Amino acid sequence: MAEEARQEIKADQKINLEGLLCPIPVVRVSQAVKNLAVGGILEATATDPGVLADIPAWARSTGNEVIAMNRDGKIITFFVKRLK
Amino acid sequence: METITVEEQNKTALAREMMEKLVDRRVLTALEVCVRCGTCAESCHYYQSDPKTEHTPYYRAEQVRRVYRQFMDPVGQAFPGWFGAKPTTDEALSRLAEIAFSSCTLCHRCTFECPFGVETAEIMRVMRSVATACGYGPEMLVEIANAAIAKEENADLFRDIFLDQVKELEKEVQDKLGSSEARIPVNQKGARLLYVPLAGAHTIVPQAIIFNIARESWTLSMFDTANYAVFLGDITKAKRIAQRIIKEAEALEVQEVIITECGHGYTAMRWDAPKWFGHPLPFKVRNIIEVIDDYIRDGVLPVNPATNGEPVTYHDSCNLGRKGGLLEEPRRVLRAVVGDFREMTPNRLHSYCCGGGSGLVAVPEWKDIRMQAGKLKADQIRQTGAKTVVTSCDNCRFQIGELSQYYDLGVEVTSVSELTAKALV
Amino acid sequence: MSLLEIVAAGIAIAGGVIFVAGIVAILIALQRRPYGVEMAPIKGSPGRGVFWSFTLGMAPWAKASARLHWMAYLRGVILHLSIFAGAAYLIATPWLGVMPGPLRLSLTVLFAIGAVMGLAGFGIRLANPTMRLLSVPDDYFALALVTLFLASGAMSAYSVAYLPFFWVVAGITLAYAPFGKLKHFLYFFYARIFLGLVFGRKNVLE
Ligand code: SF4
Ligand code: SF4
Repeated sequence: MAEEARQEIKADQKINLEGLLCPIPVVRVSQAVKNLAVGGILEATATDPGVLADIPAWARSTGNEVIAMNRDGKIITFFVKRLK
Repeated sequence: METITVEEQNKTALAREMMEKLVDRRVLTALEVCVRCGTCAESCHYYQSDPKTEHTPYYRAEQVRRVYRQFMDPVGQAFPGWFGAKPTTDEALSRLAEIAFSSCTLCHRCTFECPFGVETAEIMRVMRSVATACGYGPEMLVEIANAAIAKEENADLFRDIFLDQVKELEKEVQDKLGSSEARIPVNQKGARLLYVPLAGAHTIVPQAIIFNIARESWTLSMFDTANYAVFLGDITKAKRIAQRIIKEAEALEVQEVIITECGHGYTAMRWDAPKWFGHPLPFKVRNIIEVIDDYIRDGVLPVNPATNGEPVTYHDSCNLGRKGGLLEEPRRVLRAVVGDFREMTPNRLHSYCCGGGSGLVAVPEWKDIRMQAGKLKADQIRQTGAKTVVTSCDNCRFQIGELSQYYDLGVEVTSVSELTAKALV
Repeated sequence: MSLLEIVAAGIAIAGGVIFVAGIVAILIALQRRPYGVEMAPIKGSPGRGVFWSFTLGMAPWAKASARLHWMAYLRGVILHLSIFAGAAYLIATPWLGVMPGPLRLSLTVLFAIGAVMGLAGFGIRLANPTMRLLSVPDDYFALALVTLFLASGAMSAYSVAYLPFFWVVAGITLAYAPFGKLKHFLYFFYARIFLGLVFGRKNVLE
């Protein structure tokens, strides 16, 4: 994801999942998303590469959307939009 | 008079139907044999950490037993007051669900302390299934199980992500081994082993290092071994999640499926899946620890225990140990790769649960319960004086990590594979 | 045989018939439940597991709970031994007249101790708040029945005059056994066998 694109996304909440292992990132994201209003956006940073597949899979099965995901060295940043 | 809604009636009917279906000979025996003698109280880590009635195994089982008496036991139905049969309301079901999911980790420890061998864990497992069917399964566990299924349904979508990730990790392995020859093979048809990791790199990189040094013929699974439907007691979903790996293994024509250090994932594939499917699996299922144990025995892994000089203790994951059958293998490996190995007491068959098992770690609302129930484990760890706790399960790992913070233990938590990889010379 | 003896013997025999029929019904019901056949390749030995289950697996020194609750454990052992002896004695009662005196005296003592252990059961059950909370009428009634069974057994072993009383109590106890908690004596074998089979095949038993 280009830096400009990332700056365009305005997150309503940010969480740090660095150092956390599966399934805790999914748990924390799910929890945080539930606290957002519908349409709200969550930004999260993580280090466990498992999130690359797990977060989109979780989003798909819960009907939410991963609007961007970016990897910068060890740090993975992603944005989830609450759809439901 | 209490009014019962149609929905409530339907739920009760469903609960009854599920219980009828799931109470097999083993569970019926467990339900009928208990004499409420109270001997098992102290065998449960919940009770040890906070001795109260609700924390005794027989209290929990008794709550389910009373429903069973109403649903299935003709004598209980005829004389409910005499035998303690209880009418099942919506509220009662939701309370039972709470008990089954949050106040019993299905660790099976109490069974071995009971004079009869009452399998309270099996009773609670059935209760979990009943609760899940009635819509009382913890939302988070349901979400994680569904996500695992979504991964398979959209396998094409995730394949590229997976391959990218593997490339990155392969570089890491090459750096660590100082060899550009090192590989993390994927989709290798005819490989001897299919290795199934968890989502984290810690279940891929050290194992890849070990396989490379041992010159193993292996291939990395695209899926992970976690199967949260097992915790929900949802066998239909559990089969679907397990089926992903079975299909992959069949397509790649591997001889063995090697499960990473994951308590429930191993036990599900090694012991339960053949029962769910009604036939043995077309490949051998082993745990990575068994593979490492063989490598060390055969001398293909040059390890130096001095590399891990700090005192180390081992926590038996209930699923991997008591319920999975791996009690000696991790110890043999640890003695080979660790300089100062110390046992917790009690251990092996009698090991206490860490308090985070059977999905508890995934439900944020239960953190307090977990920390309380894990007090005994924290005390045990402290007594060993170990600086590192090894455990072969990521749920235990997370729980013990949190216990370390909560009880100020100052320990690091790691796995057998990671310590082995560190000890390689 | 006096009329009293005939009636009492009739009750005992009727109790015995209900007992056997009840046990058969329990076994049929149990057999009708599904049983998930283990399909995974074994690691240990189910047979050795079952052997362990009935030997070392029951040894009090192998269980922290038995050491902790040693009084209750000991009480249970004595109570159950005297009940088994009582059952054997019941079958032998038609020949009570030819039973050697010392044997009868020993049985009197054993059953009397057993009855005291039965009585103690009430104390234990009522003193422990969890046990009290979880106990149902069946628990107390079953305990009362076996206590009475042993007490009447002791009395009859001491004096033949009490034999009809023992037969009546035995008949009622036998008739009740398949319905209430007393049936645990039967499930006990299943529970230990399942435990041995399941965990024996996983090779975790010590
Ligand atoms: S589970 Fe076993 S030890 Fe616990 S009360 Fe029941 S019979 Fe006694
Ligand atoms: S299975 Fe484990 S958690 Fe559940 S009651 Fe028994 S000892 Fe406690």
